[in-house]
Amino acid sequence: MKGIIFTEFFEMVEQKFDYTMVDKLLTNTQLPSGGVYTAVGTYSHTEMVSLVVSLSQETSIPIPDLLKVFGGYLFKIFSKSYSHFIENAPDAFTFLKSIHNYIHVEVRKLYPDAELPHFEIEHPQPNILVMDYHSIRKMSDLAFGLIEACLEHFEENASISQEVVNHDGSLVKFVIVKQ
Amino acid sequence: MEENEILRRRIEREQKARKQAEEILEAKALELYEANRQLRDLNENLEIQIKKGVAELQQTEKRYQDLIESVQDIIYKISPEGFFTFVNPVVKQRLGFSESEIVGLHFTELVLPEYRENLVMFYRGMLQQKQESTYNEFPVKAKNGTTVWIGQTVRLIEVDNQITEMVAVARDVTDRKNAEDSLRTTQTRLSTLITNLQKGVLVEDENRRIILVNQLFCEIFGIPAEPEALVGMDCSQSAEQAKNLFSNPEQFVQRIDEILKRQQIAVEENITMADGRILQRDYIPIYLEGHYRGHLWEYADITEQHHSQELIRKSEEKYRGIMNNMELGLLEVDNDQKIIRAYDRFCKMVGYSEEELVNQNAAEFFLPKEFNEVIDTQQQKRSKGYASSYELQLIKKDGSRLWAIVSGAPIMDEDGQVVGSLGIHYDITERKQLEQELEHAKQIAEDARQAEKQFLANMSHEIRTPLNAIIGMTHLLFDTRPNKQQYEYLDILKTSADFLLGLISDLLDMAKIEAGRIEVQKQPFDLVGLLRTNQRVFQIKLEGRPIELNLMIDARISGNYIGDDLIMNQILLNLIGNSEKFTEEGAIDITAKIKKQEDEITWIEFKIADTGIGIPKEKLELIFQKFKQVNAQGHKHKGTGLGLAITKQLIELQGGTISVKSEEGEGTTFTFVLPFQKSDTEIVVNTHEIQLAPNNVEGCKILVAEDNMMNQKYISSLLSKWKIDFTIASDGKKAIEQAQKQAFDIILMDIQMPNTDGYEATIAIRNTVNHNQKTPIIALTASAMLDQKSKALSVGMNDFITKPFAPNVLLNTIQSYLKVSKASLRPTEYTFNALLDKERLTNLYGTDKEYAADMFQAFINDVLPDFQQFEQLIELQDWHGLGVHAHKLKPALGMVGLSKLEEQMNYIEKLSNTNQNIDTLKSIWNEFRANLEQILPVLKVELEALTK
Repeated sequence: MKGIIFTEFFEMVEQKFDYTMVDKLLTNTQLPSGGVYTAVGTYSHTEMVSLVVSLSQETSIPIPDLLKVFGGYLFKIFSKSYSHFIENAPDAFTFLKSIHNYIHVEVRKLYPDAELPHFEIEHPQPNILVMDYHSIRKMSDLAFGLIEACLEHFEENASISQEVVNHDGSLVKFVIVKQ
Repeated sequence: MEENEILRRRIEREQKARKQAEEILEAKALELYEANRQLRDLNENLEIQIKKGVAELQQTEKRYQDLIESVQDIIYKISPEGFFTFVNPVVKQRLGFSESEIVGLHFTELVLPEYRENLVMFYRGMLQQKQESTYNEFPVKAKNGTTVWIGQTVRLIEVDNQITEMVAVARDVTDRKNAEDSLRTTQTRLSTLITNLQKGVLVEDENRRIILVNQLFCEIFGIPAEPEALVGMDCSQSAEQAKNLFSNPEQFVQRIDEILKRQQIAVEENITMADGRILQRDYIPIYLEGHYRGHLWEYADITEQHHSQELIRKSEEKYRGIMNNMELGLLEVDNDQKIIRAYDRFCKMVGYSEEELVNQNAAEFFLPKEFNEVIDTQQQKRSKGYASSYELQLIKKDGSRLWAIVSGAPIMDEDGQVVGSLGIHYDITERKQLEQELEHAKQIAEDARQAEKQFLANMSHEIRTPLNAIIGMTHLLFDTRPNKQQYEYLDILKTSADFLLGLISDLLDMAKIEAGRIEVQKQPFDLVGLLRTNQRVFQIKLEGRPIELNLMIDARISGNYIGDDLIMNQILLNLIGNSEKFTEEGAIDITAKIKKQEDEITWIEFKIADTGIGIPKEKLELIFQKFKQVNAQGHKHKGTGLGLAITKQLIELQGGTISVKSEEGEGTTFTFVLPFQKSDTEIVVNTHEIQLAPNNVEGCKILVAEDNMMNQKYISSLLSKWKIDFTIASDGKKAIEQAQKQAFDIILMDIQMPNTDGYEATIAIRNTVNHNQKTPIIALTASAMLDQKSKALSVGMNDFITKPFAPNVLLNTIQSYLKVSKASLRPTEYTFNALLDKERLTNLYGTDKEYAADMFQAFINDVLPDFQQFEQLIELQDWHGLGVHAHKLKPALGMVGLSKLEEQMNYIEKLSNTNQNIDTLKSIWNEFRANLEQILPVLKVELEALTK
């Protein structure tokens, strides 16, 4: 998992709580990397899972909620750092449809070792977009937070339903309906 | 404190993170640098690679181009729609089209119409299924109109999953296609042939698996399967399985094994099936380049053929048997006499075996040389297609000869050409021997007959000679002035002697008649006198018996008739004598009347009717047959039984007929008719007196050659009476001596004499130089045989008198010969002019001046004017006419003693035939005419002298 996810995660924790909370998480969580992260490095995603689990235990906020919040925070970071991806899209559905075929392709060019989730997109009606999420990371809640933030960004009023197809969470169907 | 600790840990973490980031970035920067450097290297390298690649590509392209251009196959590209986009130059060579003509065409335009649809379907399928490569064959039309078979491999060219074009390599497979076609045709033809053959055919490969079998094969062996179904089957056990179909199964199997082992052709073997059919089997091994590749069996059902052959063979055997039993030897030869076939019987005949004879030349082998000509003649006939038979001898093996009668006939081939001949020989050796014996026997018989004839002639002589003396003496007695009674006795004596002579002559006559040797004389005689003489003879005989003998003669019959009085006399003697024999009392009536008159010929009918015992009706037919005596048993009269037979023959010999009528107990009438010619000449009336010799015989001289004393006396009495000088020679030898001593006017020559007979004496006189070489010689003989007369004439005698003869016969003969001979012997009383050929004229005319005068007169009056024609004939150059005329006039010159002119005329005749030169002939003619004119006065003087 890219280092930027870890650095942004600690930015958000410090921003929502304080550095003491950051220090607690780094000190109390078993981290093979020793808790030192740089945005240009690459680290095991299990460390992120351990950190989220520790944060949930420290704050008593459920993990899915934490991930959704983190998703919303990440989209805002990305929309600043990688604004050209977003600006090219006229609306949310166009952007969402281009993730797998365009954005992930470009990411892979920069970070050949990046581990990205896989989306299958259906566009059955103009106001409905169906996205099937496949990932062994099982972080569909993070995806939910990102989609939600995206709709917010394009200022589109839409409802997002999340249906777990596989119980282990590796396949999740999102149905986005514009109002 | 706590906050410090957290801060310290935070700074520591941030330092570590920074270092970590710096390390990462350092590594990234290095990596980037390295990548950049590599990129640069790569870039440089790439340029070289590209250059190199371009060069290689160019080279490869050229190589491919060359390759494409050098291949013998047409290589072309074609769009998926089927239009040519490229073609190599080979197309010009293969199809005659140039590259530019092809490119742009649709491929179907080249393909033969009937193949187009299938081909389009084929390539459409290829495109649809995206087959990478296909192969297909089809015919196209070349530019010159010929059909070229193409075999092509087509490959699809795909770019980005899209078929852009197709590349094809097309080869001209016409030759192979044609070869395949003809091979297929041949195979089809052969297998059709085999399948439809009138023979069962089975072809097996070297492993005895069936390659081909036809329907008939299945039918022959009753195989209940389709021929096609049998292909591939193993035949190694089939003989064993099928063996019970044959009448001799073991032999069949054994023979099959033998044939298969030998692997050599075995044909026309006959096999008998268990059901009686006859099959003919052929085995033909199949060799390919010296290796055995299987074999072919052929079975033909020849049952019918076999039966008919059997029939023919049996019939041939039958006829051969017949021919052998018929003892006919048959021999066949070709046109060169080479023996083709000798049949048993012939072999038996000549003692050779057929093997010894075949191929020998028949003529050289057993033909005696003297028969070569016979065979040559026969060969010529044969070559013209004629059959004929002939006899010849053959030399048998043992050297003896065989006589055979051969019937030869030509042998023709189908085209009617003579290819030889067939001789049927029949052994006639025995017959030939018999023939020879017969010939021998015939010769003996002939000799015997000759001897018998000689005997008859001798007997005739022996009997006639004494009779002649009796008759002669009777004649002399007439001359002794007998009284009337003596005269009558002498007359009867003479008649009876004559009668006796006639009776004795009966047998001889019959023999003569039967041999055709009787000669009917034609001389004038007194028919009435003859009849009366006969009447008188029988009246004397009948004296004292109550029988009247009447003669009635038609008043028209008078004078002399020409005929044979001797035969006439004999007929009358026989018939009257017959009546006299069988008549006891009554009358014998002799009548003669003219039956009819035809120009010269007078038919006279004679009837001798008696009142005798008559002849039974049933025997009437027999009476004219030889040795058939009808008279009642124990009748007192006996005879030879020849009388009436001779009579009938004598009458028929003269052209007459005889018939008989009779009533038993009433009498018999014989009627005969004879033709006569009336004679004008007066004959010497036979007064039974010896005539005084006329003056002209006086003084002549005759030699008489006669051994018989009585005849010597008879003849010398006659000659003395006629005052003829004569000399007697008692045999032939003495006659010759006399002839050499002096000249005679006539020689009378007896035939049968001791020492030298009349013939020999005549030959001697005629052929030796003596005074009598040309003297007339008259034969005197008792032999009545005609052949003796002709023999007499042939040895040089002039005439013939049969003993006994009447004095007048002798006198007449002497007179007729003296006329000629005297002239040559007596000195001429007339002397011809010396300017003429005296000797010749004397020879011609002798003392006959009148005759000579006639000839001279005729020459001067009639012949002379004819000489004028010569001039004209020569002028016209009518050589033929000249020759004829000269020939005609020539003898006349000789007749008047102009011998020299005769010679000249002869010369003219000769020249007219050979020289034919007008000038030569003219000069000769002129000379002749001058001579003739000169001698003419002499002839006239001579004529005057002669007529004085």
